Amino acid sequence: MTLRWLKPAFRKQGAAALVSKHSSIGIAAHDDVPVKPPSGYWRLGERSGSGVSILIERRAVWVNSVLILALVLAGITYLCLGSLTLGPREVISALAGQGDMMTGFMVQELRLPRLIAACLTGGAFALAGILMQTLARNRLATPGIIGIDNGATAFAVASVVGMSVSLAPSAMALTGAVTAAVLTFGLAAGSGTQGYRFIVAGIGVGAVFGAITQLLLARVAIDTANAAYPWTVGSLNARSGGSVQLLGIGLALGFVAALALARSLTVLRFSEATASGLGINTGARRIQILLLSVVLTALAVAVAGPVGMVGLIGPEIARALSTPRHVPVVAATLAGALVMVLADLAGRTLLAPIELPVGIVTAIIGGPWLLWILMRPQRSHA
Amino acid sequence: MKVALITRRLEQRTLLALLLTALVAVSVVSLLVGAGTVSPSQALSMLLGSDDSEAYFVVWELRAPRTLIGIAVGMALGVSGALLQAVARNPLAEPGLLGVSAGAAFAVALALVLGASAATLRISVAQLGALVGCLCVLGVARWRGVGNDPIRLVLAGAAFSALLGAMTSMILLFDQRSADEVRFWVIGSLAGRRLEDLWAVLPSMAFCTVLIALIARPLSALALGERMASGLGHHPQLIRAMVVLCVALLVGAATAIAGPIIFVGLVVPFIARAFAGPDIRRTLWFCLPIGPLIILAADIISRVVVSPSELPLGVLTALCGAPVLIAAVRARRLPML
Repeated sequence: MTLRWLKPAFRKQGAAALVSKHSSIGIAAHDDVPVKPPSGYWRLGERSGSGVSILIERRAVWVNSVLILALVLAGITYLCLGSLTLGPREVISALAGQGDMMTGFMVQELRLPRLIAACLTGGAFALAGILMQTLARNRLATPGIIGIDNGATAFAVASVVGMSVSLAPSAMALTGAVTAAVLTFGLAAGSGTQGYRFIVAGIGVGAVFGAITQLLLARVAIDTANAAYPWTVGSLNARSGGSVQLLGIGLALGFVAALALARSLTVLRFSEATASGLGINTGARRIQILLLSVVLTALAVAVAGPVGMVGLIGPEIARALSTPRHVPVVAATLAGALVMVLADLAGRTLLAPIELPVGIVTAIIGGPWLLWILMRPQRSHA
Repeated sequence: MKVALITRRLEQRTLLALLLTALVAVSVVSLLVGAGTVSPSQALSMLLGSDDSEAYFVVWELRAPRTLIGIAVGMALGVSGALLQAVARNPLAEPGLLGVSAGAAFAVALALVLGASAATLRISVAQLGALVGCLCVLGVARWRGVGNDPIRLVLAGAAFSALLGAMTSMILLFDQRSADEVRFWVIGSLAGRRLEDLWAVLPSMAFCTVLIALIARPLSALALGERMASGLGHHPQLIRAMVVLCVALLVGAATAIAGPIIFVGLVVPFIARAFAGPDIRRTLWFCLPIGPLIILAADIISRVVVSPSELPLGVLTALCGAPVLIAAVRARRLPML
């Protein structure tokens, strides 16, 4: 959903007049002359006289409603299926606190927390992905591909192997993610972030951290290593309650921050000169976006391990559904959550009683997708 | 001019001799050093003639086969890296990065789960998997536009090997017993390999040596371009097919013994080219000692660092190889092959 706050014209008149053809609205509203909103938009608040009006893109509303509906349906299916199949009615009554104890326990204590964790991690990975892609102006630059996931995983494994404090994985994952991001962006400083070189440098950084993870696992007892193994490929099994809560708070705050940044994101897709000409403080914005993306990735990795492909697939779906007018932040988050829920559902049920870690499911879906992106005739990225 | 060329040749000969000496030295160190309780001095005195049955067992039954296998794997990976880079005309084309090793590992995991266990079968399955992986990679490279951009090909290879890796993990989930057997093999290690494993791959390595001796000349002609090569009387398609066969056999053999070890095929030709210049034949000669040198050095480190347990070899090669990849990518211009 794109909320556009058009400020009083006298403040940002110059910038607003440049932004797009819709900028006339801002000025017109000030003059109190009703003007039709641009095609494809709804406008709220034009009669309030406060000089503030909100433009809502109709397509975005539809896309997001459909995604929410799909997410709810997928969530109910998720709660229904498993080692014991329940009917949708049973699930809904169990959610409301009725029905028998056994079903209630299974839905509320076992499946619901996992569903919530899936939604949160998927949303966080996809949001981080679209932020990073827009920042780097590179469609392939998702945190998973440029090594940030692996950095977070390596540090978080160090905390799991070394100490047993429930807060530690999130904090350590954050440290690792920041380290990896600094390395990748620092190493690519000369060649910019748009080409494939940046991505391959990131793959190199990711390989180093992947090796460090293996190194840490090789040093501990075989049981500890076996326990950590599903988590290193990405799984919702090994999550701890504390890290899920942290992710929830982080995603809520990060989502609001991303909405606030959405306008700058739209403009940052253009060249540096265009963006600063339109009144964006590109340096500060970039650092904010990078920080947001890294923090979201780290918190999600602390819950589910490196499921980075969601960060590629979610934004791809969102972009395919949305118009290119804006960066579809909300749609990407929803699509990421949907992908994660469906992938974990498939991993839990398709090969039952064996449970496929969700990281493997997303890698099997995402690998061919990535190949397809690479094999297509070259076009501009992001 | 001519004199300079000759001295350069001589210098290269000396360099090669030096590398061989270094290889012998590293092999001896590999016999002396280990993660276990037999100390280097104990092993040395045993080698010099003292009567120590524990040291005898450890050195000749455990460390010697391991060293020999390390040498074979290093040669195979180094040479196959140089060959693949020459035929893909891409200095970053590395069997591990492009998914050839992952193809071999996938095939082996599949065969293990389906019930195969004999060493020779494992090797031929790995070679078949490597062949399929190799053909996929070169198919992608010939796709419009992808092969022209070396870095894009690496990216496609990375995606391909990630996919294969995920599928390998998935297969292993079906079968816990094979999973325990394979989990350490999948990371890449020389620990616990027996001499029989080496004998099983020797025929295919000998075959590859003959094949490489035959195609080395045409291959350097191919470096001048496809039309130039056919103008000189070579058959580019045939050369390419033979190179692919060699790479598949070598990588498949190395993977079957030691597991997928990535980045060695990148680092070794990288160093070899620095010594030998652009000529593929000289590069191949230099790859022969450098590959085992790197593998053995990494293997020795892997035994010492976390003693008394061991570090998987693949971890160390990744730690050394990834910076080389980054350096190569950061270079303003990639050397064209």
